[in-house]
Amino acid sequence: MPELDPKPDSDLLHEWLRESAAARPDAVALIEEERETTFAELFAQAQSLALRFCECGIEPRDRIVLALPKCTDAIVALFAALLAGAIYVPIHPRWPRERLDAVLAECGARLLFDGDGARPRILDLRTGATIAWPAQAAREADPALLTRITAEDTALILFTSGSTGQPKGVELSHRAVSAFVRWSAREFQIASTDRIACPSPLGFDLSTFDIFNMALCGATAVLVPDNIAWMPRFLVQFLHQARISCWYSVPSILAGMLREGGMAAHSYPDLRLIFFAGEVFPAPALAKLQAAVPHVLCANLYGPTETNVVTWCRVPPSFDGSQPLPIGHPCPYAAVRIDESSGELLAGGDSLMRGYWNRPEETARCLVTLDGIRYYRTGDRVAPAPGGGYLFIGRLDRQVKRRGFRIELGEIEAALQSHEDILEAAVVAVEDGQMGVWIAAFLRLGAPGAVTLADLKAFCGRRLPPYMLPDRIVFLDAIAKGNRGKTDYLALGKIAEGLMRGD
Amino acid sequence: MEIRNEVREFVARQYLPDASAETVTDTMPLITSGIIDSIGMLGLVDFIESRYAIEFMPREIDVHALDTVERIESLIRAKLSSSKESAGRV
Repeated sequence: MPELDPKPDSDLLHEWLRESAAARPDAVALIEEERETTFAELFAQAQSLALRFCECGIEPRDRIVLALPKCTDAIVALFAALLAGAIYVPIHPRWPRERLDAVLAECGARLLFDGDGARPRILDLRTGATIAWPAQAAREADPALLTRITAEDTALILFTSGSTGQPKGVELSHRAVSAFVRWSAREFQIASTDRIACPSPLGFDLSTFDIFNMALCGATAVLVPDNIAWMPRFLVQFLHQARISCWYSVPSILAGMLREGGMAAHSYPDLRLIFFAGEVFPAPALAKLQAAVPHVLCANLYGPTETNVVTWCRVPPSFDGSQPLPIGHPCPYAAVRIDESSGELLAGGDSLMRGYWNRPEETARCLVTLDGIRYYRTGDRVAPAPGGGYLFIGRLDRQVKRRGFRIELGEIEAALQSHEDILEAAVVAVEDGQMGVWIAAFLRLGAPGAVTLADLKAFCGRRLPPYMLPDRIVFLDAIAKGNRGKTDYLALGKIAEGLMRGD
Repeated sequence: MEIRNEVREFVARQYLPDASAETVTDTMPLITSGIIDSIGMLGLVDFIESRYAIEFMPREIDVHALDTVERIESLIRAKLSSSKESAGRV
């Protein structure tokens, strides 16, 4: 397939920005509400900040944590980290303090970006000093930043829910991100005229798509304001008014835009691509989406954070929603096979993670080498799809998805069990048919009335990110057990279903 | 006080189903504490818009402006008086 524009040769993600800034300095790279930033400005700002990092003694492969919403300053900081050869670690700004501290300790962070003032605060975690943003951005390329790392080095670490109660960091190299971004640019002909929007926060693997396609293709990334990221009516307004040509989000956001946002009321002449990933798109809602935007190519991009996208499936124009959409065929850079005994999908290839940060044992447990190829055990059960490719069947473990966020129920249990008044906690999730799952926590207390529901919710709020908070907390005198003394999750699931329906 | 109590009752009913409305105090953080998450915020905004016949602008959807019963009430009052003013100009 011919490429629309010549693309940089390097697989270093920040080199893409350098080349786009040289090729089209005055084109708009980023739009954040009324603020527009050109490629030249973005590169100059990122480079000045990278040089500031170097002055502060940042070495290649040091970790720089960005606890920021997806804003212009966060994108500048991310490219600055990469230019300095460092690793960026994006986490959601509304994560509770304890979880943030756990991540800072786990990855041995050198710098932290946070705060909700006019400009983010830059904190040197070694000295405790605040670092000032550079006042002037130098446009001339600085040779000091050219040869600090290779494409095999880690570009970012994404923290995801861990079943033992501690989030774990997925380490992705420049090469791994590049494999996916280059393929998507080629397959979908992303060009400098595209306006790309992705409401997912930076800590979500979906955000590698818009940020790095912007850098690679010279396209414009239009940032979705953080405060409306879950407001269907405002998202529909945004999609329409910002003349977005390419949209990438989790299905529950799109389903909300259709159901409550009045998405079908506009025609979106500029829109040509809609991608979704992160969870199953309920087939009837997906059929409505394709019918609402018949001129748009809609496609499911499948893959866990550990491998990014490895298979994809275009929604057929005639899709009626009577059958689920398959996860589709492997991307050309991916190696995919089924474990015949369990039906588990194994995924490897160029986009595979290096491993979990600092956790060699856990990494070894989930990676398997077959015929000389390294695969990640996805935990997803799949079957061959009738028309070729793969069909998602379900999970092999207790991992669930809510609004595309991955949740290990064991992590919620561990958080609850750390409360001194809770003797036992069992957490179950039931399908809600809309946002993914509805989560109920069953608790046995040391003494009845030892803790109030409001206190307990606040306790969870200090330990877990918002999407992991239980929808309902139920106090029980005893938690149902099977005949081997193990928690009877099936029985609890039935109780939870009744509670969700309001029985 | 009426607005405050209505908001308090809505919050208790919707987000703390087994607790009584009195447990929701005027200054108790609701969103920053995790009692209401981002999807829950959607429900809160819907409730305010339909109950008081007001419409929010995107930039008014702010975690801090909606974080306590007290602040929600001020926001509603501000919206109500500005919509009266604009109605008066017509």
